[in-house]
Amino acid sequence: MSTVSWITLRGLFGRRRFLLLLPLPLLLVLLAVLSRSLGVDADDWGPPVLVGLGLAVVLPVVALIVGTGVLGAEIDDGTVVHILTKPLPRWQIVLPKLAVAAGVSAVTVAVPLFVAGRLADSVRLGLSLAAASAVGALAYSALFLALSLLTRRPVLLGLVYVLIWEGLLSSFVSGTRVLSIQQYVIALADRLAPTELLHGDVSVPVAAVMTALISVGFTVLAVDRLRSFSVAGETS
Amino acid sequence: MPEPTGVIHDIGYQRYTGPRLGRRAVFGALYLHGLRTAFGLGRSAKAKIFPWLVLGIVTLVAAAATAVRSQIGEVVMTYAQFADNMSWLVIFFVAVVAPELVSRDLRSGVLPLYFSRPLPRSDYPLAKLLALATALWLLLGGPQLLMFLGAAFTGGEGMGGVWDELLDLLPGLLYAGLWAVVFASVGLLVASLTGKRAFAAGGIVAVFLMTTPIVGVLSIMPSRAVNELAFLASPSTLVGGVGGWALGDLLGPQAPVPIGGFGPVYAVAAVLLVAGCVALLLLRYRKVAAR
Repeated sequence: MSTVSWITLRGLFGRRRFLLLLPLPLLLVLLAVLSRSLGVDADDWGPPVLVGLGLAVVLPVVALIVGTGVLGAEIDDGTVVHILTKPLPRWQIVLPKLAVAAGVSAVTVAVPLFVAGRLADSVRLGLSLAAASAVGALAYSALFLALSLLTRRPVLLGLVYVLIWEGLLSSFVSGTRVLSIQQYVIALADRLAPTELLHGDVSVPVAAVMTALISVGFTVLAVDRLRSFSVAGETS
Repeated sequence: MPEPTGVIHDIGYQRYTGPRLGRRAVFGALYLHGLRTAFGLGRSAKAKIFPWLVLGIVTLVAAAATAVRSQIGEVVMTYAQFADNMSWLVIFFVAVVAPELVSRDLRSGVLPLYFSRPLPRSDYPLAKLLALATALWLLLGGPQLLMFLGAAFTGGEGMGGVWDELLDLLPGLLYAGLWAVVFASVGLLVASLTGKRAFAAGGIVAVFLMTTPIVGVLSIMPSRAVNELAFLASPSTLVGGVGGWALGDLLGPQAPVPIGGFGPVYAVAAVLLVAGCVALLLLRYRKVAAR
C-alpha cells in the first residue's frame, strides 16, 4: 500500500465525518429487513428499495461524497501542494486515490445491497447487485475524482449529474439513459442475475463498454489535469 | 523634575454621534444580504452559475407549459403540480444555497464578528432561514406567475377568465410557500452542522433523497393506516399531503397524495417538523466556535 493511499484513507476516516456514510447503507438494510419480516411481496418492495434507494441514491451519493473528498478536500485545504511537490509521477497520485475512493464506496454500497438482494430474491441476486454496484462505484469515483480537478465546485456539479441528468431528465427523456452510469449498473446486475425486479433499458454490451470507457477515460483525464494543476483559493 | 514637554495633538478623531441602527436594521441587513447571496447577486460570475441554472430550468419548464397551453389549450400542469414536479430542482437549489448562507460563515470564522454586534443569538439563524425561504418561494412562485400571465392573457375570456386564473394562482403560491418553509428549515439545519460547503451540499441531498424510497416502501405495507401515513416520511410528500388537505380542490382536480382521513396529522407533522428544525437551529447557534 503506497503512502498516498495511506494518507487518503486517513483523510477519509480520520475525522468523525465518515460517520455520515453510515446512515444511508443502514437505512437500505433496515428497509429490506422490515419489508421482508412483514411479509410484503418482493416484487413490490424490491424496485423501490434496490433501485430507488440503493442504486439511484445510496450508490451515487456515497460515491460523490467519497470521490470528491479524496482529492477535493486536499485541494480545498491547500495541502495538495505537499503531495504535488513530491517527485511522484501524477498517475501514482491519481491511481491510489481512485483505488481508495472506489474501494471505500464499493464496500459501503455493495454490502448492504448484497443483504437487500439476498432478502429480496436469492444469493445470486445479492452477489450480482454487489458486483454491479462495485463496478458502478469505480465508474462514479473516476467521474467525480476527475470533476474535483476540473472545477472548483465538484460536489455541486456532481449533484447536477446525479439529480438532474440521472434523476430528473431520465424520467422524462429516455434518451439520456444511454449516458447514465445508474442504467449501466442496472443492466449489468440484471444480466448477472435475471429477475423480474430489475429492468435495464440499456443493452449489456453497451453498458459494459461505456462503464469501462468512463472509468478509464476520466482517470486519464484526471491524470492529465493534475499534470498542469494550479492551486487557487476558494471561489468567492 | 523638568516640566513635561510633550503635547497631545488633536488629529481629528471624532466620536460617532449619528443615529445608531438597532436590532431591526441588523436583522434586515442580514436578511437582504442572505437573499442576494442566494442568487449570487453582488458576487462573482462563478457564484451565479448554479442558482441561475436552476432558475433558468424552472422558468423554461414554466414557459414550455404556458406555450403548450396557449397553443393546444390543454393544461399541462396546474400550479401545485408545477411545484411537485420541480421537487428535485428545489432540493438541488437548497443544496446550492444553504451552504452558501451558513457554511461559509462557519468556515471563515466570522461568527464572533456578527455576535459582537447588538444582534441576539436567535436573529442570525432566523434571518438566514427567512432569506432561504424567500429565495425558494421566489424560485417556485416566479415561474407560476409567468404561467399565470401566459394563461390569463391568452385565454380570451376577458376579465372573468383572468379572475378565475388568479383564484387558481393564489393557492398555488400558498402551496409554494409551504414548500419553501419546510425545505428551507430542514436544509439550513443540515448545512449549519458543517463548515465545508461540499459536505453540507452532499448531506442535504442525502437527507432529502433517502426519505423518498421510505415512502415507497411504507406505502406498500400490508396495513391501510400505514399506507396513508407513509407520506409523512419524506418532506416533499409531507408537503403534498398538507397541501392536499388544507387547500384541497383549490390546488387542482386530483389530490397529489392519497392520505385518507389523516389530513390533520399531516398538518401537525409539518408544523412539528418546521418547529423542531428551527429549535435545533437556534440551539446550534447558542454557542459557536471562533474557528
